[in-house]
Amino acid sequence: MKIVVGFVISIAAAATGAWAGYDNAKGLIRGGDSIFDTFKETESGWLFSDDIGSSNASLLERARIAVGGPLGLSSSEVLYFIALNDSEGRRLTSSCSYVVTGVPIDTRWWSLTLYDSSTQNYVENTQNRSSWNSAVLPKRKDGSWQIIVSAQSSEGNWLPSQKIADQPFELNLRTYNPSDKTRQAAPDIALPIVERTGC
Amino acid sequence: MLSRSTLVWVATAVVAATAAFVGAKAFTIYQAPRMVMSTIEDTIAQRAGGWNACWHNRQFGPVPGGAKRANPDSVVTLMAYDLFNGPVRVSGETWPDYWSMSLYQQNSDNYFVTNDRDIERGKFDFIIALPGHKLPDHKFSAANTRRINSPTNKGIMLIRRFVKEEADMPALLENQDLMRCNPLALHDPVG
Repeated sequence: MKIVVGFVISIAAAATGAWAGYDNAKGLIRGGDSIFDTFKETESGWLFSDDIGSSNASLLERARIAVGGPLGLSSSEVLYFIALNDSEGRRLTSSCSYVVTGVPIDTRWWSLTLYDSSTQNYVENTQNRSSWNSAVLPKRKDGSWQIIVSAQSSEGNWLPSQKIADQPFELNLRTYNPSDKTRQAAPDIALPIVERTGC
Repeated sequence: MLSRSTLVWVATAVVAATAAFVGAKAFTIYQAPRMVMSTIEDTIAQRAGGWNACWHNRQFGPVPGGAKRANPDSVVTLMAYDLFNGPVRVSGETWPDYWSMSLYQQNSDNYFVTNDRDIERGKFDFIIALPGHKLPDHKFSAANTRRINSPTNKGIMLIRRFVKEEADMPALLENQDLMRCNPLALHDPVG
């Protein structure tokens, strides 16, 4: 009898342990911002990972990237930079407006895309604009540029954030076919500055 | 005072719970990318009308509700491949602007990527095969044909084309329509 009870208790303990292990793993790869937990922070506050799509990624990193941003290109083709915060370290939110200021990046082309952090998807807007890319973005004579990020429409290069207040968002900078110089310097290249202008 | 046999069962239960926790956690983390890939593959195959066939996005700009963190500046072609019954061939023409073809194995690793700058004369012809597959050279070889060995039976092929403006779409749709994606035996290469 004791053996049966002990055996049943052990089976129950194993089942509980397995469920807890599954639940713990699910929490680690839950999506949202967790994809960026293993990214390195650059001096300018952007997040960077060399392991997207790479066989060098750890099991956890691979799982997080697959859940949060599947089918990314390896760094031999693209360097990805993520901004979750402004230049003061405050979380990007739809309640505030921002100016993103950048200088030319030595890469074949780049794009800056805004994603709703809750859905990890585009923000629907009347302009159907979720990004600006280096080919179409109007620039100054010296090649520098500015993008205004806000919920309310704005003059100039406007990138719409969510209409609903207090919604977190992220900016994703993709640099395609960066030059050897850019690749060697990455992630410490001159990245755009994201300044909060009002809330 | 607990009896010795009770202590043994308590210890057994603790060891069983700990081992199950560690095992289930590791297995879930290991399996997650494969499950994501399977889900995406099924979606692509459904849209393309089957495995080893291409599905083309025909829309310019962001398409809400699609893949997480997709790039709205690229118009993509996707294929879910399954090499169980033999190699698969993909051919077509590159694009005047940035064009790349990337391949993903079942654990989600991007094991192969090439772009328009790597491809001569703007025409590509790839045979995706398993290392053990033998190709009948006399029938399928061409000057620009390239074999790529997939580490896994199943995987995803993704072609990205950088599109600046909506006015580029008619040319892009033509470019997509030129593509051929099928099992090697059925393939009629472009050009």
